[in-house]
This record gives sequence, structure tokens and C-alpha cells, in this order.
Amino acid sequence: MRITGAMTAENAIYNLQQGRSAMETLQEQISSGSMVNRPSDDPLTTRQLLDLQNQISTGEQYSSNITKGELLLNVTNTALTSMSAMMQQVKKIAGDMASGTVDASTKAGALSNLTQLKNQLIDLGNTQIGSQYIFGGFADGQPFDEFGAFTGTNDALEVEIAQGSRVATNISGGSLLRGGTPPATVGAGATAGNSPTDIVGGIDALIAAITANDKTGISDGIKNMKAAADQITMSQTDVAGRLIRLDNMKSMLANNQNTLKSIYGELQNVDYARAGVELSQQTTAFTAALSTTAKLTQLSLLDYMK
Amino acid sequence: MGISSIFDIASSGIAAQRLAIEVAGENIANINTPGYSRQQVVMENRPVSTANGFALGTGVQISAVRRSYDGMLQQQIVDGNSTYQQNLTRQQALEQIQPSFNEVAADGLGKAVENFFSSWQDLSTNPSGSAERQALLSRSQILVDTFHQMNTSLNTVAKTADNNLVGITAEVTDNARNLALVNTQILATHAVGGNSNELLDQRDLLLQKLSDKVGITTTLASDGTASVTLAGGEDLVQGTSYATLYTSASAAVPPVNEIRLSGLGNPPPVNNKVSDANISATVGGTGNSLGQLGGTLQVRDSMVPAYLAKLDEMASSIVSAVNTAHSAGYGVDGPPATTGNNFFAAAGTTSKSITLDGGLTAAKIAAGFATASDPAPTSSGNNVNALKLAALQHNSFSFSTGSATLSDFYSSVVGGVGIDTQGAQNVTAQGASFLKQLNALRSSNSGVSLDEELTNLTQYQRAFQGSAKVINVATEMLDTVMGLVR
Repeated sequence: MRITGAMTAENAIYNLQQGRSAMETLQEQISSGSMVNRPSDDPLTTRQLLDLQNQISTGEQYSSNITKGELLLNVTNTALTSMSAMMQQVKKIAGDMASGTVDASTKAGALSNLTQLKNQLIDLGNTQIGSQYIFGGFADGQPFDEFGAFTGTNDALEVEIAQGSRVATNISGGSLLRGGTPPATVGAGATAGNSPTDIVGGIDALIAAITANDKTGISDGIKNMKAAADQITMSQTDVAGRLIRLDNMKSMLANNQNTLKSIYGELQNVDYARAGVELSQQTTAFTAALSTTAKLTQLSLLDYMK
Repeated sequence: MGISSIFDIASSGIAAQRLAIEVAGENIANINTPGYSRQQVVMENRPVSTANGFALGTGVQISAVRRSYDGMLQQQIVDGNSTYQQNLTRQQALEQIQPSFNEVAADGLGKAVENFFSSWQDLSTNPSGSAERQALLSRSQILVDTFHQMNTSLNTVAKTADNNLVGITAEVTDNARNLALVNTQILATHAVGGNSNELLDQRDLLLQKLSDKVGITTTLASDGTASVTLAGGEDLVQGTSYATLYTSASAAVPPVNEIRLSGLGNPPPVNNKVSDANISATVGGTGNSLGQLGGTLQVRDSMVPAYLAKLDEMASSIVSAVNTAHSAGYGVDGPPATTGNNFFAAAGTTSKSITLDGGLTAAKIAAGFATASDPAPTSSGNNVNALKLAALQHNSFSFSTGSATLSDFYSSVVGGVGIDTQGAQNVTAQGASFLKQLNALRSSNSGVSLDEELTNLTQYQRAFQGSAKVINVATEMLDTVMGLVR
């Protein structure tokens, strides 16, 4: 093949350009730390990376949902613990009154105590986080009025903790303190101590029985209060169970996120050792190309002609 | 025969070597001229005479100054150029489009969609919260803005392509006019029996330039002139006359450029967009595969519209699904809370027209959905509808490419842009190296080598000196003869 100077020059330019472009790619990878800097670098890996990004951010949203759910359930749990302590006192007072023959001042003390405890239970039923009433279901305002009438709803406020998996973050105040909406009938005689129990109504009936020295009524009341305490304990167990479920889901998510992130890293992060070695190879080749180009383009017959 | 014939022989040598040196000089002078083909002198000996009893030539003559030229190679370069330029144009447009879809390096539409649904999740954990409602409104606005921004940047690429058509067609016309002029000169030179080597080089260069812009078919006549027809078979250059390729605005709203071709002539008839043929459909070759013009039309008419259609599909799916779910729910703008409100404006179902509904406020966002225990109008703490809307993120929608979730569909669009760009880059690189190879072959055949010309120069110079010496000798001989008679 006949070689002309123009061919040598064109070849040199083309090859130097190739070398520069290879070094440019490596330089970009090293300085950005990413293997894929635009979809055309590797369309298939791009798809995978986007899917991973998607899964990671969905996971982040779920863990944020779980954190909020935990907050709501923890506050509910605290309120339930206080309620449970109050029910112990109500049970004790009811037990003390069981004989029906106590002096007037003790009776008056017990009655005022019971009224106070009932009001405190109702107050706890109106517990808030921010502007949210935790026992109100979907309702806008305070779920219990001063007499203990429930105006909330019995809906479960659910949050999504995984795709298609939801956990209720609340307990219905109506079912908890009134045994349902409308309130359950207060047990008497054979039905005393039945569940569900209308706790507020039960305390009201107990107060009425003590006031009237009604021994049968007081003994029904004792049974009712025992069932009431159990009802609150059951709710506590329920909440604790949900908290455990959230906790499990949270650690599962964390595991998942770790795995996803490490796969993402494997696909996207630059192996600096490899990139460095390749860059030095490219540099060597490029230097050689530069030096030969400089030497060859100098050669001309003109230098030897007089 | 006498001494005078020595003079004849020597002077023919001097004349021939001088011409050869001129050709070498011309070659050296044009070493860097694009499209120049090196020329060689073909020497032959003059007719033999047997006047003195021996058959001997009567000196040297130049029979031709030949152009080193390979017509086949020239044709391949013309074809290769057309394909290469088309791919290059497409690659450049794709490299402009790709950054809008570069979800790997920066957050784009995919992230905006994700954030939109995340906001619904946030709202579901505190349905009456005004902060959550406001955040949802802002993120929805960002989603809408991102759609608009992508639509604009894609349309800008199409618009730029449309504008480029004006310049490309003007250049084609310019080259066609020059080719007609070169044809005229070739005919004139031919008529007087002259050497039209340089004109032929110019002709080839113009053909090559034309093939950069548009797909052409060339017919070379025996007189050396070239006639050019476009991909659809229309005449662009016919002997000494040529046609004008120009753009005119179409009747569409907004108008786009149509490509029209005038009749032949020199100068051609005035552009008449009513009677001149509209050759937009054929000028770029099959599937707009030829030349910058083909590439540009492809960008404007198929590439950008295809990506826009994908974005529109996404916008339309989001708008209809979100509106359907949203209008079934209740806001907190009560009492009584309103229902049946759209989230996005119902009329805006494309990436360009998507907007939030004009009446939407933070309080009107419908997080509530009537349940048995919370009948309509719902309470402010009702999050059932917010959950339903958040779940749309994992819903499969029916797209032109099959059933997929919004994120999956968008990921596949991004992957598609990547594959298209990579493909265009690959074929362009292949085209470039193919052309480089062809040019190297052409250069090998037709290019000027300085070393070679310098060697030739020395060779011819020595021959010139030799012939001069012969004259010198002949003069001395003549002097000697003259001395005899004195």
C-alpha cells in the first residue's frame, strides 16, 4: 500500500483521539465514583440501578411509616398502662365496699375517688399527639364528652408497612371504654362480668350501687370491674403485639435496604484499583502514541536534499 | 538527418521534463487541498524515423497528464458519507435528549413520581395534618413541573432540528449550483480538448459534500459532467441546470418546515410553494436513513414524537387514575366536606397540558373515604382514600409496551433512551472508522506523497540538465563543423 504524509497525519489524529477518549472515560469514572454516568454508558445496568433506587426509596418510605406507627402505638400503650393502673384502684375500692356496711365518711371518700378515677379514664380517652386524638378513630374532635359518651368512630387508622401489608395504629376508644358503639349493656346478675364491658357505664353503676348500699349491685360491680381491667390488659397485649410486628418489619426492612444498597454499590461504584491500573495503561499507550507521532511527522526527504 | 535533429531531440526532452516538473510542482502545491487527486505525466517517445539507416526515436513527448482516480472508491465514499452523517445527526440529538432522562446521576421524573406517592403515604399517617397536605401539594406541583420541563426540552430538540432544515437545504442548493457551474466548465474545457483534471476533482468534492447533506444518486456522463437525483428520483442537477431545494412552512399549527424542490434551470425558476413538489417524505431516503437531512427529519418526525408519546402515556395514566380515586374521596374543607373533586385538571392528559385542578386546595385533598362506621361526609382523621392513592404506586397500568407500574414504565423509557443513544454512538463510530478506511484507500491511491514528488523532482531535474547538456554538445559539434569550413 502506498502511504502518503496525509494518511500518516490522519491516522495519528484518529488514534490520538481514540486514546484521549478512552482516558476521558476513565477519568470521568474515577472523578464521579460512578460506573454509569448516563443511561447510554450501560443501558441494561441503568435499568437495574433504577429498579434498585426505586426499591430503596420505597423501603425508606415504609420505614418512615413504621416510625410514625410506632409513635402512635407507643403513646397508646402509655395511655393504656395508666388506665390499667386506674382500674386496679377501682377494683380495690369496689372490693373494700363489698360488705356494704361502711361508715359514711369512708363511703363518701370512696365515691369521690371513683368519680375522679372515671373522669381520669375519660381524660386519658382524649389523649392527643399533636392534633390527633389517638382513641378517636377518624373523628375530627375530642372523642369523649365529659359524661364519657363516645363521639369518635371505630375505624382503624392503618399505615402501610410493606407493599399490601397494613397495620392499624390505633385502638377504638368506644370499644375500649364503652365495650362498643353504642355502649354495651352493663352486666347485672348472671351477665355481670361479661365482656365486652362498658367500663364507664360500669363505674357509674358501681357508684349508684354503693350510694344505695346495694350489696348485689356492688358484687356485680366487682365482677364488672374485673372484666374491665381484663379488657384493658387485652388491649395492651394487642398493642404490644403490633409493636413487635412493626419492630420485626423494621429490622427486616433494614436488612433488605442493606442488601439492596450493597448490590447498588457493586453495580455503580468504581473499583478504584482497576480504574487506576487501566488509566496508567492508557496513559502509557497514549504517551507512546504522542512520541511516535512527533517523531514520524518530522521525517521528510527535504531534510536530506541540498 | 543531421546535427539539427540532435537539437530537436534535446529540446523535446527539455520541454517534456519542464512540463513534468510543473506537474510535480502542482502536486506539491496541492498536497493539502481537499479532494485533489495527484497527477502523473505519461511520457512516450516520439515517432521513430529510420532516416540514417537505424530506427531511432525523434525525442520524447507527453502523451497525457493522468489523474490517479478510483471511481468505485469515490462512489463508496459518497454512500458511506450519507449514512455516517445521518447517524451523526441522530447521535447528536440523542445526546441532547439523554440528560433529561438521566435518572442515574440526578433526580428527574422518576423521583418526582416516587415523591408524589410518598407524600400520599405521609398523608395517610396523619390525614388531617396541614403540613402533610401542603407537602403533597408542593410535590404534586413539582411532578407537574417536571413533566412540563421534559416536554419542553424534547420539543426544543425537535424545534432545533426543524430550524436546521433551513440551513441544510440552503447548503444543498448552493452545492447543486456549484456543481452545475463545474459541469459548464467541464463542457467548455472538453470542447476545446483541454485537460479538465482539476475540474473533475472539484466535481467529486461537490458530490461528496452533497452526499453529506442528502441521499443522492449520481450519473456520470462520458463528457465528464455529473447529474444528481435525490432519493425520491427527483432531478437536482442535470447537466448545466440545477433545482432549488428549499423549506416552506406547512399548514400545521404550529407550522413545521416542509421540503420542496423547484424545477430545473440555470438559474432555476422562482420558488413556488404551490406548484413545487413537497418531497419531505422521500428526500431523506427510506426511513430517513440518508444524510444530515434524513437524520434531522428522523429526529423531528419520529424520535422526539416517540419519546413524547411515552411521557404523554405516563401523564395520562397518572391523571386518570389519581382523579378517579381522588374524586371518590372527601376533603377536610367542611363541614360538610366536599367530594367529587379532581386532583389534576381533567383536560390535561399530556406531558404538556398536565396541571393541578384549578380548584384544588390543601383542605380539598381527599384523604377520606366513606366507611361503614365513618359514613359520608367523612371525618378529618379518615385516611382510607390516602392509602388507596398511595397504593396506586404499585398498581399496574396498561401501557403501549405492556402492563407495568409507573416506575417500571419510566425505567424502561430511560433504558430505551440509553439503548438508542448507545446504538447511535456505536453505528456512528463504525461509520467513522469505515469512512476513515475508505479515505485512507483514496489517499493511498490519489493522495500526494511529498517524498515521491521530491524524488520525481530530482529525477526530472537531472533529465532536464541532461537534455541541456545534449544541446551543449550539439552546439560544440556545430562549432567544430563550422570551424572545418573556415
